[in-house]
Amino acid sequence: MTFPIENKQGFSIVSLKGEVDLNNSPEARKVILNCLKKDKHVMVEMSAVDYIDSSGVASLVEGFQYARSNDLDFGLIGVSDAAMNVLRLARLDQVFHIYASLEDCVNRAS
Amino acid sequence: MALDRLARAVTVTAICSTPYFRMFNRQLMEETVFTDAVRPSDLPAPPKDAIRIVRACSIAAIDSRDLAGLVANDPVLTAELLRVTNSAYFGFVSQVKSVARAVTVLGNRALRNLVLCIAMRDALRKDAIPGFDIDAYWEDALRRAVSARSLAGLAGLDGDECFTVGLLQDFGLLVLLHLMPEQVEHWGALATATPEQRRELEIELFHTTHDEVGLTLARSWDLPADLAMAMGYHHDGPPEDVEPQAEVLCRVAICADWMAAVYRCSDKRFAIQHARTLLAENFNASGEQTDYLLQQVSESVADAATAMGLRVGEQISFDAVLREANLRLAEENLSYQELNWRLEKALAERDHIAAELRYELELAREVQKSLLPGSDNSMPGIAGLNLSAKAVSGDFYDYFAVSEGRIAFCLADVSGKGMHAALLMAKAASLFRCLGKGVHDPGKLLGMLNREIAETAIRGMFVTMLAGVIDQVSGRVTLANAGHLPAVHMGCAAVIAEYPANGPPLGITADCKYSNETFELLGGCLYLFTDGLLEARVGDHRLEQAGLVRLVKENAHLQIAERARAIAGAVRTADGVVEDDLTLLIIEDTGAYGKR
Repeated sequence: MTFPIENKQGFSIVSLKGEVDLNNSPEARKVILNCLKKDKHVMVEMSAVDYIDSSGVASLVEGFQYARSNDLDFGLIGVSDAAMNVLRLARLDQVFHIYASLEDCVNRAS
Repeated sequence: MALDRLARAVTVTAICSTPYFRMFNRQLMEETVFTDAVRPSDLPAPPKDAIRIVRACSIAAIDSRDLAGLVANDPVLTAELLRVTNSAYFGFVSQVKSVARAVTVLGNRALRNLVLCIAMRDALRKDAIPGFDIDAYWEDALRRAVSARSLAGLAGLDGDECFTVGLLQDFGLLVLLHLMPEQVEHWGALATATPEQRRELEIELFHTTHDEVGLTLARSWDLPADLAMAMGYHHDGPPEDVEPQAEVLCRVAICADWMAAVYRCSDKRFAIQHARTLLAENFNASGEQTDYLLQQVSESVADAATAMGLRVGEQISFDAVLREANLRLAEENLSYQELNWRLEKALAERDHIAAELRYELELAREVQKSLLPGSDNSMPGIAGLNLSAKAVSGDFYDYFAVSEGRIAFCLADVSGKGMHAALLMAKAASLFRCLGKGVHDPGKLLGMLNREIAETAIRGMFVTMLAGVIDQVSGRVTLANAGHLPAVHMGCAAVIAEYPANGPPLGITADCKYSNETFELLGGCLYLFTDGLLEARVGDHRLEQAGLVRLVKENAHLQIAERARAIAGAVRTADGVVEDDLTLLIIEDTGAYGKR
């Protein structure tokens, strides 16, 4: 599975979809890290994520850690209920910057 | 649009493969030959007198005296013609002593053929190509000539006609070597190649092929059309609109090429097989017939050479060719055996590496198991169980006494699976056991573990962990949860409380704080588990928490160690495996049994 990237309002947006598990989390990791190596502002759009396991969460955590140590913007937008339940349960909502939408992110930044 | 493009592509492909297009393409190729590789002006000078005779021979009404007069004009040709006519190979009955007699005995067609053979033989002098033994070329050509002649009966054609075609069909190669003598050094490769390999090599060396150049030369020299066809189409096959005799002559030339190759090329077995196939396809020849004709080739070359005034070396017999081919087959069989042996060796090596890897994994599994509390360390009131989906697990649990009546415990899950998860699990388990003996505050302990793990964690890996201490005298539990599933406090029949995470998993950021929850077991049990338990399949659905509650109720009468096994047993598949690592820890309120 490939995860599309698009540029909107100065952000690179990686869209994850479907089941982000051991099978495709290496691809998600690669796409997210490549984006962070090229762009300063990266968001992961997660509205179409049906399921995310710990390896998928680890891909997001690695993106978060990379962004923090390199002073880059990294956040999650439009997180689906299924993914949000996993993040909330693990208290990862305290770690990631999570926005309802890109507009929400832009508004909060301004 | 895409369909339209596809349709057009199919049409173009279809047109390209039609005979008409091949002809058209051939014309294009001729232009390419003229402009890029060989120009008409580059070609050797045509033997004009001989060609005049050849042309005259095709005039049906020509007077034999006029024809004899034309031949007599060229004394060298006359002498050669009489010599060849009287040779045993061509087998004319009576001795022919004059040109006039030769013309009468031979007839126009045979005269034409003999004149062509002699004239073409002499078109390039022996020293015309520096450093090249032209006799070697003619020996190869003679094999084609006698091969073609041997096919005359099957083809229903005149033997001398076939001989002429066979002798001259590859004349283009001689022309190419004449024009590019620097490529003579590759003669060895050209001489031992099969007809098709030879053509590929020619494209590489000369950027054109002998059949292309042969056709160009035949047209430039105004050679007879049937000979031109055979020279130009003995690889691609004749065009559809060609005269029937020329078409059969082309097929004779194709077969003769491969029959001669049997004696020449290095892969004799392949050449024999291909010659058999071609003769069967073109002339319905049986394998025995083809072998007989091939045998005739080696026996006739010397006579044909004498007749044509050409020198040839000692000829290898067909039996010797067959022996060489069989030897090669035996060698190939040997190399097949060696290949087989190597494959067996590689498989044995793979099995050895797999066995070593299994052994290493078994050791890793043992080391990992040693990090879990064993049956020797069993304590009343606490029981755990860990089943791994792979050889090593990313889950673990542990417990140990920290003081009289107080037990520290934990249950954790490392993100991901496999060896990297198992290594991080080993680190987290060791840190818990090491630091937990001195720090009895679970929240504080998780904070310390988090900082240690966050310092070194890579690839976003993290550990979710429940850590706690139970005072078995009071039944009081102090619990902290770093990103793990809620711990569930249950009585016999219902959930009393859940204790979800109050901080993120370990290893993500170093500055996390974890608070403690303190509660009393009140005669119930505390269940700690990993997601492998809740996500395990029971029939066609996942267990989920409701299923766990049901299993707890069903097994409430069992001792906690047996209860843990019963719960795990309910979610195992028939063959005893689990889809995901599965860990369960049960802590019961031992103090409730009469101590309080």
